[in-house]
Amino acid sequence: MAATALKEQLNGLVNSMFAEGLLDEQFQQLQMLQDGSNPGFVAEVVTLFCEDSERILADLTKLMDQAVVDYSKVDAYVHQLKGSSSSVGTQNVKLACIQFRQFCEENNQEGCMRALNVVKHEYYHLRSKFETMLQLENRIQAYETKQQN
Amino acid sequence: MATVQQMPLSSMDMGSVYGGSSSKVNKPMPKDFPMGLRVLVVDDDTTCLKVLERMLLECHYNVTTCNMATTALSILRESKGGFDVVMSDVHMPDMDGFKLLELIGLEMDLPVIMMSADMRTSIVMQGIKHGACDYLIKPVRMEELKNIWQHVVRKKWKENREAEHSDSFEDTDHNRRVIDDAEKTSSGTDATDNICKSQKKRRDVKEDDEGELDNTDSSSKKPRVVWTVELHQQFVNAVNQLGVDRAVPKRILDLMNVPGLTRENVASHLQKFRLYLKRLSSAQHHTGLPISLPDAGSNAEVPSLGSLDFQTLTVSGQIPPQTLAAWQDELFGRPAGSLGMPEMVQPVLQQASIQGAKSVPVEHGIVFGQPLIKCQANMPKQFPQSNVAVRGLSSGFPTWSSNNLGVVSGSNLGGLSSTQNSNLLVPMLQQQQPHPVLSESHHAINVQPSCLVLPSQVSKRFQAREKPVLVNQNSVLVPSQSSTSLQAENNPTMNQNSIFAPPKSSNSMQAGNNLSLVSRNSSLTSSQGGNNPGLINQEPMGPSQSSTSFQDGNDPGLINQNCMVVPPRLLTSFQEGSSPAPISYCSSYKNSAIVDNSLLSSQSNNAQLGQAQVLDEGFKDITVLNRYLIPKSIYSSVPSCTDASAGWRAQTPDGNIGPINQSPYLVPNLKNIQGAGAVSQTLPDQGQGRNLGFPNLSNIQGGGTVSQTLPDKGQGRSLGFIGQGTRIPCRFAVDDIESPTNGTSPDDDKDILNKDFFGLNGDI
Repeated sequence: MAATALKEQLNGLVNSMFAEGLLDEQFQQLQMLQDGSNPGFVAEVVTLFCEDSERILADLTKLMDQAVVDYSKVDAYVHQLKGSSSSVGTQNVKLACIQFRQFCEENNQEGCMRALNVVKHEYYHLRSKFETMLQLENRIQAYETKQQN
Repeated sequence: MATVQQMPLSSMDMGSVYGGSSSKVNKPMPKDFPMGLRVLVVDDDTTCLKVLERMLLECHYNVTTCNMATTALSILRESKGGFDVVMSDVHMPDMDGFKLLELIGLEMDLPVIMMSADMRTSIVMQGIKHGACDYLIKPVRMEELKNIWQHVVRKKWKENREAEHSDSFEDTDHNRRVIDDAEKTSSGTDATDNICKSQKKRRDVKEDDEGELDNTDSSSKKPRVVWTVELHQQFVNAVNQLGVDRAVPKRILDLMNVPGLTRENVASHLQKFRLYLKRLSSAQHHTGLPISLPDAGSNAEVPSLGSLDFQTLTVSGQIPPQTLAAWQDELFGRPAGSLGMPEMVQPVLQQASIQGAKSVPVEHGIVFGQPLIKCQANMPKQFPQSNVAVRGLSSGFPTWSSNNLGVVSGSNLGGLSSTQNSNLLVPMLQQQQPHPVLSESHHAINVQPSCLVLPSQVSKRFQAREKPVLVNQNSVLVPSQSSTSLQAENNPTMNQNSIFAPPKSSNSMQAGNNLSLVSRNSSLTSSQGGNNPGLINQEPMGPSQSSTSFQDGNDPGLINQNCMVVPPRLLTSFQEGSSPAPISYCSSYKNSAIVDNSLLSSQSNNAQLGQAQVLDEGFKDITVLNRYLIPKSIYSSVPSCTDASAGWRAQTPDGNIGPINQSPYLVPNLKNIQGAGAVSQTLPDQGQGRNLGFPNLSNIQGGGTVSQTLPDKGQGRSLGFIGQGTRIPCRFAVDDIESPTNGTSPDDDKDILNKDFFGLNGDI
């Protein structure tokens, strides 16, 4: 029963994320790919995404801190972040990246700084939700394993 | 496409739908196709990679992932034929995705699908221009992945069709009609697509004589015929019998009497053969060299003998399959290196010799079918420009300028043929060669990369010559005795340059069978009298210089890398440029000819160059190990002419090239391998060959590494040869399918020519 409650909680969380625009259909595809034979798939992808994103954000921060900003490099990183966020289905981060790229093309430093902040904000918001999600999943998994034994 | 013919996926007629891209072997399609499709995914983004992997697994494909383009390339090179399709991201840190796309297309001829989050039209356009089969926008959806098999199928079908295509013009017309139909039938939203496709088809049709045959009648689908050396030999014999000009497929077919072979197979093969010969003859005219390689222009790049002839081959490293393909292509007169099977080279060579040496009747003996060095009267005095670099030719020999040697200078790799040297058809076959090609002194004959097959009949030719020294990057083996000798012996495969000339009779090269294959270098042992196995190294060698002179003895000259062992008799004919240029072809994955040196350089070792000749004591069997530079990753083994009986075989991905005769073989020295490529030489020692360790590579300069593997299968003891992998960019195309040019497009050749193929910068 606890497992059921947990599952409900998990579903609620995920649904709210969809509703808020944090996640899109791509995430649903990932969910569909997770099944009995690949139980931790979503968790794995989410974890990878978080690792990649944080690395990119750190690099971006460094680049933007420079006196003269190399927009092509910045753009490359943002492009990469956009790619991974879209592959995972994290819509808000993706949209923020698109915005960011716009400013990059204009070489708009202030715009880029702001856009970077937006991306970070969205990302961290997403990450906390993901963390909750993963915790719930783990607990559910633990329950189910226990039940099987 | 309205007119696509129906071909059931599971049809076994598909032939080699799978099976990588290189071999033409017919492989039946797996019953559960597209399940098990082997996909390689390249993306620097680990998240995307993970997602894609999962999705592809969900489609029941075999997935391999890597996040570096360079890793992907080495994976592909190592497992030749191990993948069906590649998916690559556009923006990657270590290499541009489009560059990777090109490389894969050139080397492996695999369909490549690009992916990116970037959906700008300009980028997508670039993808198309670089040859991507498809361009997917991230995030990639499952539905899209489920359909990627279509690219594999389409490509294979196209290849099959082209292979069987016998009448290009008809098809071209047909295609055009079909294209028109397609346009008419396109409707609505598909209109643009269809029109684009039609336009693309038209373009393809224009580029390729054979056109895109995907809309020809489905009934013509046949399993691809593998033109083995034997089969090709039969073909050539039949053609010779009928006379090149009068040979028609039907009669050839009858003469060949091979069950299961169809007229269409023969026809398409004949067409290729003719193109090749035409190419040779035009090159010849151009350069004045006997058997001219198609493009004289390439001469410039031929590395001089001095330098490692092989170098050209190896220049940058390995010879990607395509190089081989390109070579073959050259041989066949198809510029883009889409040579058909390596074996084809043989016939082509023969044909070339037949055609090339008009003046000299080619005796049937073209054993190898390799480009024969025509030692005809028309041997131009000047060799110099010809690519054939006959080094060390002693007086009377035009010195083969270093350039000449054909190492396939950058220009055409593919064709060795393009280098003049490469196709030296040895007219020697003809006894009536007017003057001995070789001047008195032994001469090193440079055989260009292409292999020369010297029919033994040439023997006459060598009369005066003492020691024919074949120098060549490619070894040319000249059978010292009658034409049959080569044949019987299974001429060593001509690998890049290996010419085998089993000196049978003693009067070969003057006194004895000196097959001195002089590889570009000096170490040519001039064979004089006697059978001196001359090992020829890369060093430029003039006949006079031979370090090991073949004097009186029967020394089969071993030619290094490109040694041509020319039986004395034959050698004579190798006069200027008549060195048989061994054709080395490597099975290449792809036809596109131009080999990018950069490709090679990045590889670690693969090309194996050269050929080693194994000469047995009595020169009875000359085993020529052809080594061609083949990227290791691509070729599993160095081509070696191990199978004497088989005549020469181009190295197939699996292995050996050419016959290797037992007997000790001389491993050519690769000296001074300069250039970017690594020279690798594998001396498979299948029989009892004892590899006489001949001078090994020394001085490998340039970027390459010399690698040498000496498989010692039999009791051969290989004496170390070269070391690291060499890569010779070459345009070999085992499957001459995709090559857009049929050897008729000058641009391709130019490209090849102009390219510093093996890292040679035109100077040897």
